[in-house]
Amino acid sequence: MERSLTHIALFAALIAVLGLVPRVDLATGVPITAQSLGIMLCGTVLGAKRGALAVLLFLLLVALGLPLLSGGRGGLGVFVGPSAGFLVGFPVAAFVAGWVMQRTTLPPFWAAACGAVIGGIGVLYIFGISGMALVLDKSLSEAALLGLAFLPGDLIKAVLAGLLTLAIARARPGALLSRRDAPAA
Amino acid sequence: MIRPVASSSDAIVLTGAGVTLTGRRVLQDMSLTLSERRIGIIGRNGSGKSTLLRLMAGLIAPDRGQVRVAGLDPAQARKEMLAELGILFQNPDHQILFPTVDEELAFGLIQMGQSRSAAQARVAQHLALHGRSHWQGISVATLSQGQRHWLCLQAVLLMEPRTILLDEPFAGLDLPTQHRLARTFAGLPQRLITITHDPATLRGVDRVLWLEAGQIAADGPPEAVLPRFEAEMIRLGGLDADADLAR
Amino acid sequence: MLTLTSPVETALHRLRAGPKLAVLAGFTFALFWISAPLWLGFALVAVGGLYLRGGVQFFRHGVAMLRPLWPFVAVVGLWHLWTEDLAAGGVIVLRMLAAVAAANLVTMTTRLSDMIAVLERLARPLAPVLPPRRLALAIALVIRFIPVLTERMAHLAQAWRARSGRRPGWRLIAPAALAALDDAEQVANALRARGGAG
Repeated sequence: MERSLTHIALFAALIAVLGLVPRVDLATGVPITAQSLGIMLCGTVLGAKRGALAVLLFLLLVALGLPLLSGGRGGLGVFVGPSAGFLVGFPVAAFVAGWVMQRTTLPPFWAAACGAVIGGIGVLYIFGISGMALVLDKSLSEAALLGLAFLPGDLIKAVLAGLLTLAIARARPGALLSRRDAPAA
Repeated sequence: MIRPVASSSDAIVLTGAGVTLTGRRVLQDMSLTLSERRIGIIGRNGSGKSTLLRLMAGLIAPDRGQVRVAGLDPAQARKEMLAELGILFQNPDHQILFPTVDEELAFGLIQMGQSRSAAQARVAQHLALHGRSHWQGISVATLSQGQRHWLCLQAVLLMEPRTILLDEPFAGLDLPTQHRLARTFAGLPQRLITITHDPATLRGVDRVLWLEAGQIAADGPPEAVLPRFEAEMIRLGGLDADADLAR
Repeated sequence: MLTLTSPVETALHRLRAGPKLAVLAGFTFALFWISAPLWLGFALVAVGGLYLRGGVQFFRHGVAMLRPLWPFVAVVGLWHLWTEDLAAGGVIVLRMLAAVAAANLVTMTTRLSDMIAVLERLARPLAPVLPPRRLALAIALVIRFIPVLTERMAHLAQAWRARSGRRPGWRLIAPAALAALDDAEQVANALRARGGAG
């Protein structure tokens, strides 16, 4: 019980801290916010359920008025703005990434990268694009066009999520709770 | 309130207790009865002393044998253990759970069944007693390392456990803070069990246990155990023992 | 911990958090049903008026909080310039600004402790699955460990720079995640030592 709670809380804090880190610019000039990598790692490291709960806890603190989204954003406003769909999709994305990690026997890099592509791009875009279509009063295909601008950066992030998950697995065997046979209650 | 004083009825008793972590036997066949008021457990890094502390505290359960504190299994009887055992962890940042000083101090009291308001009143009284009323409501992130250490100790003392387990209590503190802390410890009515790798910390205790590779290498008064421990450490220091891989 | 609550005390600070949130919910819901530009413009002016009652500095702060929306305003503007339907574009932008500004206003005028109190009340029906004490504990732990992990990240960045000429970038995330995992184990022990998450 305590371990689940502290893992969820510490990873919610980790997502917040990664949002405070100034955004990293890749060699190509594509800006990458570390925060969405944190969301993916919640799934790939903690597993589906705990990963999704960590993201939910993080969003709860944002809604309560803490400026924890990257760029110091937060409060209730972000949940009615055009990016609200992405926020709603975050916990589902972490859940799916964690589910892929748990249900496949692929090596950590491939499992995490696939999880990040399916959860962090596929599922997240469905939510994000629907949200933009709703708030900006556009058709889904028109909103999807807007979303495509982020695709190259997000593909790079999926690779990074794979590399980071692999690095964590190597540095600490057994650290990947998503890959433990019997997760402690 | 009754002051918690150590007696033999609340002894910590290990019977053939062993712990295996990630396939390695960290502690083997421990049989001990700890009832003295001041006990020291000394050993090198990796000797199993932290595991022994967590075993006595009920934070982990033994794979073999049993552990009893005042007749109860500390891993099961968690609520009862709050009045029996307190633990001061080595790193304050691993122990402080709450963002503000008073939340941190009140938590243990509420866990022991006090109402929120009673716990808060008790905390305010305690801070005033130590001339730190102005600490109320401030963020723990603004405290210095020594101050955070003090906060951790007070959080344990407020719960008035009969035994306090101290994990390297002086590590990383400056000399004035160490002396002040040693004076505080000396005045406590509780049983203190100190875990350390530093023999200087244990002069004047009633009993010293020397732990080596998960087993008791020596057990007796400090005058008998500590010189042998120091001689062995100096001998080991002359060897390049660090080149060996532990696992 | 820094929150988005404004240090400028306004009359809205003194209202209770629950009713404020209820009014906000009603207001936002209504906005998405209205499609007359005039009414939406009126709603935005009304929200702006509430900001102004807190003074010019408070109003400016409110405007600054809307800044992340400008790319969307630009995209919608260009789009509707191209489709030659500026009225529809105006409706979208007005609605978006009014909804976000109103929500931010509640955030700026409500203290964190009051928000947490409302949350605990709202979460009460969930008590069988999620005891309120556990939720409060989880929130406290996150607020407590954000500065701890921030400091850890800064140390890691220093350690990196001490041994490398290149910037650490995303590579620091792995050790930061390991630190969070380690801390979670230790804090779980500390929590268990003091009576658990019950």
